Amino acid sequence: MHRMPRLGRPAALASPRRGALTALLAVLVSLAAAGCEGGAIAADTPASSGQSFVSGSYGATFYQPGSRPQAPAVTGTTLAGRPLSLRSYRGHIVVLNFWASWCAPCREEAPALAALARHFQSAGVRFIGVDIQDNVASAEAFVRTFGIGYPSLNDPGDQIALAFRAAVPAAIPSTLVIDGSGRVAARIIDGVTYQGLKALITQVAAKSI
Amino acid sequence: MTGLRVPPGARRRDLPAAGDRAAAGARAEPPDAGTPDAGTPDIVDAAGGDQRQRPVGPARLGLIGWLRWGWRQLTSMRTALVLLFLLAVASVPGSVIPQEGIDPAAVTQYYAAHPTLAPILARFSLFSVFAAPWFAAIYLLLFASLAGCVLPRTFRLVGSARQLPPRAPRNLSRLPLAVSYASTLAPETAVQVAGQVLAGRRFRLRSGDGWIAAEKGYLREVGNLLFHIALLALLASVGIGAIFGYKANRLLVVGDSFGNTPTALDVFRPGRLVTPADLQPFAITLERFRASYITSGTELGQPLQFNAALRYSTAPGAPVRSYNLRVNHPLVVDGVSVYIIGHGYAPQFTVTDGAGRVVFDEAVPFIPVNQTGLTSEGVVKVPDATPDQLGFAGVFLPTAVDSGGRLESVFPAALDPRVSLVTYAGNLGMNSGQPQSVYQLDTAHLRRLAIAPRPLAPGQSMKLPGGAGTLAFTGYKQWISLAITYDPGQLPALISGIAALAGLILSFMVRRRRIFVRAQAGPDGATVVDLGGLARSDAAGGFEEEFARLTAQIAGAQVAAAQAGSSVSPAPGDNPAPGNYPALGDTEGE
Repeated sequence: MHRMPRLGRPAALASPRRGALTALLAVLVSLAAAGCEGGAIAADTPASSGQSFVSGSYGATFYQPGSRPQAPAVTGTTLAGRPLSLRSYRGHIVVLNFWASWCAPCREEAPALAALARHFQSAGVRFIGVDIQDNVASAEAFVRTFGIGYPSLNDPGDQIALAFRAAVPAAIPSTLVIDGSGRVAARIIDGVTYQGLKALITQVAAKSI
Repeated sequence: MTGLRVPPGARRRDLPAAGDRAAAGARAEPPDAGTPDAGTPDIVDAAGGDQRQRPVGPARLGLIGWLRWGWRQLTSMRTALVLLFLLAVASVPGSVIPQEGIDPAAVTQYYAAHPTLAPILARFSLFSVFAAPWFAAIYLLLFASLAGCVLPRTFRLVGSARQLPPRAPRNLSRLPLAVSYASTLAPETAVQVAGQVLAGRRFRLRSGDGWIAAEKGYLREVGNLLFHIALLALLASVGIGAIFGYKANRLLVVGDSFGNTPTALDVFRPGRLVTPADLQPFAITLERFRASYITSGTELGQPLQFNAALRYSTAPGAPVRSYNLRVNHPLVVDGVSVYIIGHGYAPQFTVTDGAGRVVFDEAVPFIPVNQTGLTSEGVVKVPDATPDQLGFAGVFLPTAVDSGGRLESVFPAALDPRVSLVTYAGNLGMNSGQPQSVYQLDTAHLRRLAIAPRPLAPGQSMKLPGGAGTLAFTGYKQWISLAITYDPGQLPALISGIAALAGLILSFMVRRRRIFVRAQAGPDGATVVDLGGLARSDAAGGFEEEFARLTAQIAGAQVAAAQAGSSVSPAPGDNPAPGNYPALGDTEGE
């Protein structure tokens, strides 16, 4: 692929200068690219965060009524051993919360969820928990500690999370708000706050009429 | 292609007329447009007789000119080689410095060992070299350089696929290999016979008035281009794998199952364009695990074989299948490879709190810290015990032996397991929402309970002081750690690698060579046959033998044709009319 000298090339540039300019060009491009992301990568080292585990990116997504993904059939056994199916909740707004007893952010949001469940009970909004990767004794102790009044499905094998192909609960805790016709109206990745989830449920209830 | 750029205003009276140029071109023209290797020696300036034009000063480049110059530099082979070298050099820190994607624990240790140097290295992305922007710049530039050079050449090759060899030069004796001899055949016949021989040897022919040009070895350029295109494809495959693929790890205790979703994976490293919805929704259950070890000799305790009996399904509701997972025999489910990369023990604990309720009942994975005896360390957190949260940290010994007052594990199989725990009570720090590692206990707000850690055998329990409860060591299970990888670029990369090798071999083994034959009537009436041969890039040698062989064949064929011609063609002067043949049966004459 060696090229013969072509007529028309700038005659002013001799060969060593050409080589130097090429090197300079390569270095400049590399530096320009390196300047873009060095900071973000440095902030993400395990030493700065203290551990290495999967953390989802926080975000609340609200789906407009026309473009809501259908929630899959969610069935299973509760921690108390009774069968439960999402289908039997048609007509109600359902808040589906994925949690585990060993998950610290789940513990932080648990009081808010328990309080909101009591608050919205009369309005017909139902709360269901999905306990993943957990043992029943610890999960029941968690429920006792935070006074959670709503049932939780026991899902040690992630079958329920796997069934969600759209609006995936990509981290725990995750919370999905499912409207009366079984469609996912909102999804929150990471912990919820009392005010934030309350506003979201109210918004879903208003738009679902 | 090229041509002297005539500045505006130059008078064109120095240029040859169109007719002259055609005549000049018929004499000798460049061998083939675009390939710059020196071909036939009689090359002439493409612009004909421009040498007498008034000299012009150096042309000034505008922005377009500089961009074009920059592009030509980028796509030159020298730049490509430099970039390739830089790629190799840039991979060196990836081997020397611990990488986050491979061993995050080692990176943390590096930070602890070099507290001032480590942040500087992190600033230049040296802990994640292969994801660094400067590394990406190198291979993106290499990609552009290769593509910018290879693609135009491919179009040119396709365009010249049916291109004929160049015309035979007038003076064949100036070629590197030349032979001249006399023949009794007429010039046209001599040339024709030579052409038949060459055509029989699969040369591409071009004939003219008294000459034949033959060329062979076009596959060399094909091989060259195949190599470079395959290199491009290899880069693209690696890029595709990095963008659309992912790697994940998961620790699985016997009896447990998990699904391929980010909440269930311990470590999840997605490619740039991978979202949680792109994960293949398979689920795996670990039914049984058996590890066998060497039981005697100098390698006592080394693992021999790992056998993990798995049950898996490709999607929720799909039929469940079985697989026996062993080291280097991964489970391939839905295009994803699942490897077993480690194992350990998970002792089972049942914790009863001060109020008498069972608040914990699970097998807790302990992580091996010593490979000879698989001594493992772990942590148990019971955040919902009353009155205080409880935490335990300790050691599990699969084959516990008392050596000088201390217990240590001498064999990795669980022949005589013991567990020894230190007990804490207080605030584990989990209620504040800060994520914690399940393998580390944050003792900042915990107080150690006054109970001497004594080794528990399976079935034994220890009563915690102050009415805090009881911990029972009920048994143990084993766990395996799985590496889950999805690389859509793996197969294309393999195919590209093989194609690159094939192209390289082809371009080295095939020579491009030309043979020219001229025959003209000599001074004494006999035909003078000139043969000339030229090999371009004959690095492997061997053209001389081929030329000699072809010369012998052509000469031999011409001699045979001459003999055959003299035996059937009538002698000069003998012109029998159709009626003059001796009739059959006529015995007159002979």
